[in-house]
Amino acid sequence: MQSRPAIIAVGRTKFGEHYEKEPEKLIEEAWLKASEKAGIERRDLEAAYLSDYFLPITNKLGLEEGFLSELTEVHVPMEVTRSFSSALLNACNAIQAGRHNVVLVGGIEKMTDRWDKIRDDLMLLEDPWSYYAGCTPEANHELMLRAYIKKYGINGENLEKLNIGLAQISVKNHLHATKNEYAQFQRKITLEQVLSARKRAQKPLGLYDFAPISDGATALILASEEFAKKFTNKPVYILGSSSATDYLTFPAREDMTHFLVSEMAMKKALEMAGISLWDLQIVELYDQSTVMEMISLEDLGFCERGKAWMNIYESCQDYKGYYEVDGRKLFVNMNGGLKADGNPLGATGGAQIFEVFKQLRGEAGERQVKSDRELKYGCVLELEGFGTKGYVYILGRD
Amino acid sequence: MSSEPIERRVSYLGDRLRGRRCQICGKEYFEIKDYCGNCGRKSFGKMVDMDLFYEKGKLEVCTFVNEPTNKFTKLGSYIYGIVSFHNGKIRVPGRLTDRIMKDNGETDFSALEGRYVVPRFRRRHSVDRRDVIPTISLAFTFADEYYPHQEYTVVKPNKEYDVPGIVGYGVYTSKFRIREGNIERSVPYIDEDAITAAVEAGKLALIHSGVDSSLVGKIYVGSESNPYAVKPIASKVAQVLKLGEEDEDMQGVDAVDAEFACKAATSMFKDAASLVNYPKSNIQYAMVIGTDNSQAAPRDCPGGELDLFVGFGGCAYIFGKHDVIAEIEGWYSCTSDTPDFWRRDGEPYPMHGGRFTGDPAYFKHIRKAAKKMIERLNLQVGDINYFVAHQPNVQFPVKIAKELGFKEEQYLPSLQVAKFGNTYSGSSPVGLAAVLDIAKPDERILIVSYGSGAGSDAYLLITTSQILDKRQRQKLTVKYQAENSFLEYVDYTTYRRLKLGM
Repeated sequence: MQSRPAIIAVGRTKFGEHYEKEPEKLIEEAWLKASEKAGIERRDLEAAYLSDYFLPITNKLGLEEGFLSELTEVHVPMEVTRSFSSALLNACNAIQAGRHNVVLVGGIEKMTDRWDKIRDDLMLLEDPWSYYAGCTPEANHELMLRAYIKKYGINGENLEKLNIGLAQISVKNHLHATKNEYAQFQRKITLEQVLSARKRAQKPLGLYDFAPISDGATALILASEEFAKKFTNKPVYILGSSSATDYLTFPAREDMTHFLVSEMAMKKALEMAGISLWDLQIVELYDQSTVMEMISLEDLGFCERGKAWMNIYESCQDYKGYYEVDGRKLFVNMNGGLKADGNPLGATGGAQIFEVFKQLRGEAGERQVKSDRELKYGCVLELEGFGTKGYVYILGRD
Repeated sequence: MSSEPIERRVSYLGDRLRGRRCQICGKEYFEIKDYCGNCGRKSFGKMVDMDLFYEKGKLEVCTFVNEPTNKFTKLGSYIYGIVSFHNGKIRVPGRLTDRIMKDNGETDFSALEGRYVVPRFRRRHSVDRRDVIPTISLAFTFADEYYPHQEYTVVKPNKEYDVPGIVGYGVYTSKFRIREGNIERSVPYIDEDAITAAVEAGKLALIHSGVDSSLVGKIYVGSESNPYAVKPIASKVAQVLKLGEEDEDMQGVDAVDAEFACKAATSMFKDAASLVNYPKSNIQYAMVIGTDNSQAAPRDCPGGELDLFVGFGGCAYIFGKHDVIAEIEGWYSCTSDTPDFWRRDGEPYPMHGGRFTGDPAYFKHIRKAAKKMIERLNLQVGDINYFVAHQPNVQFPVKIAKELGFKEEQYLPSLQVAKFGNTYSGSSPVGLAAVLDIAKPDERILIVSYGSGAGSDAYLLITTSQILDKRQRQKLTVKYQAENSFLEYVDYTTYRRLKLGM
């Protein structure tokens, strides 16, 4: 059996606006938190895999690795990719190939420094023609929702339920975040707030349907299975890891109502982990918008195509802390999701892994899920762009 | 897909909505792909070009954008969506244009989705005043609204004439108007300018004439509101309309801008006609466009008196010797150095000589050109069916027509200034188009333009029987554009904002 890369510690900053902090200070904070827990020194690190989307643009920092080297006095190999998940995948590959035994995976983003132009920068994640035609970071989410409604012929009372269901996703994520000390928004919101924001915007989705822009950093220490045991008796293993890629141009994709990449990555990750879908109880989804959370439930296979809104709506009528699908419980975005926890792009995936790690180890405190089954497996979906890249990780413990 | 710096150099990809189709499997791409994603290596050399520019698409899904990204803020709010062509075989992003969104919104997307749309050639987004102006055709209007969809079908010419003449024409104005007193003036939408109007007019002229665009060997674009001090408009028009034989990414056409206040276009009619008549030129057709987003300072500023008269629009004529609808019988031009209207380099708005622009300028030159023209052809005023004069306002053309002895039935059909305002380079050409829209075969038309600075061009045209054959392809007649039920009236503040552009 292939060796399983093991996460031995995780760390993160609070997400939100850190206008007073240098970007490298954020990653330092995340790394210190992780390393302290694991009792690991920076000189134990054999490599670092980092991620950020925008630092060269938002903060005019190139070769971020060099900054980190200066800060840490560490001269090991470092690589920078765009998302935490892509950094983690490289780290997994290195560990599994036997190249390294212990590495740092870190993600960082500082978006609020350029609040005046960040929405234009976000368009770098979409195709230029859409941008030139007037697309915004929100528009494709709304178009996807329109396409979904049309494809499944949802109207009348059902359309009402779908719209409320989507709003409840946001309400639910905010509720979860009240128990997350690191979350950007640790406050409840009401269904009325979500709906009236939509009304103000005069469109299908409003302010509360979208994740915010955020600053923040996340880090984890990944080690080979053997090596992990020296540091912890509770490692969390990466049992499945996979990614897929689709066209940058959303309108050119064959099906505008789901993300091919999520579906493909999930299929492979499950195969790799050798578990079945419903062995998973806890899932961190990439809810850049409420639509993305709904679609992802279908893409990953938890809900039937065209039906997720119904499961969500029904589960949220009297929300018990999980979605119920055919009598089965699914704990989704326990940290508050991107919506309430925050979405500092390059660091976001780290917060998702952080959550599943904590939950699987039973260290999630107030937000620890109460499951009638033993909590053994969790899953993370991270996307880059509007479904252009998808990464799925399946985490598990012994 | 295309990156920003490359787009600056090869802008016609989005202007023309170019794509490719695989001849093996039929898959289509909004991209110049050299091979098909399905068929791979065997499809090299089997990908055919397509331009979606003349086609009708369908708005699949849409949403409302009221917080655009920075480059689009001047557009205000707009509808953005996805448009499919060829029964969904190809999908492109796009925004709806020519739509001033109301405060209370337009949130019933299902009423918009599923409707047919036509690509419009527009400015893409705002840029710094120093930058190249980006354009795009991913801006759409509904096919059943102001600009109905018209197919562009190349018609094989069947008759060659001894003398050259007009073989087709197109008039383009916006759907917006400002109404003050008894005059209505066309107002561009915020993403329009002289360049976009030139392309749209040229497109309509090709549709009307049925001329194969690759046979157009020369294009003249006359304007006095060229957004560039240095850089031709004509090159953009030539590339977008695919004039001349296309070879790699170049067009086998000569393109040049002309400037002589309001007679920049009419001045070139004779050059175009002569060119197609010269046996060794190898040029079958030449296109002349007069286009202006006529500029005027705000009313309380120097030069602001022009703000009561300026319009917006373009008018394109194709000259040739095949399937002529109006032969040119002769011309006469006169010029004098009369500074009645000018704009210094770097100044945004022109200045105007006040009362001085009447007698020693407009009337003097038009009178001279008209009289000489009639004299040269040994005609009487009564032999002429229609008289078209430059139209800076309603009074001037009426006064000169009467003075020359023309009756109302001779000059009123061409009098369009009360409907569109003074469209400058397009002014007398629009008047001529209004006449060509209704003229019967074998009717004589006298057109006399006037350009400040100053000069006049007079032309005598005589219509042929083919004018009737081609009329069925002229859907956007001047009358249609003046009386369209989708016209939208704007107030003065909106008019200034729209006119200033992105």
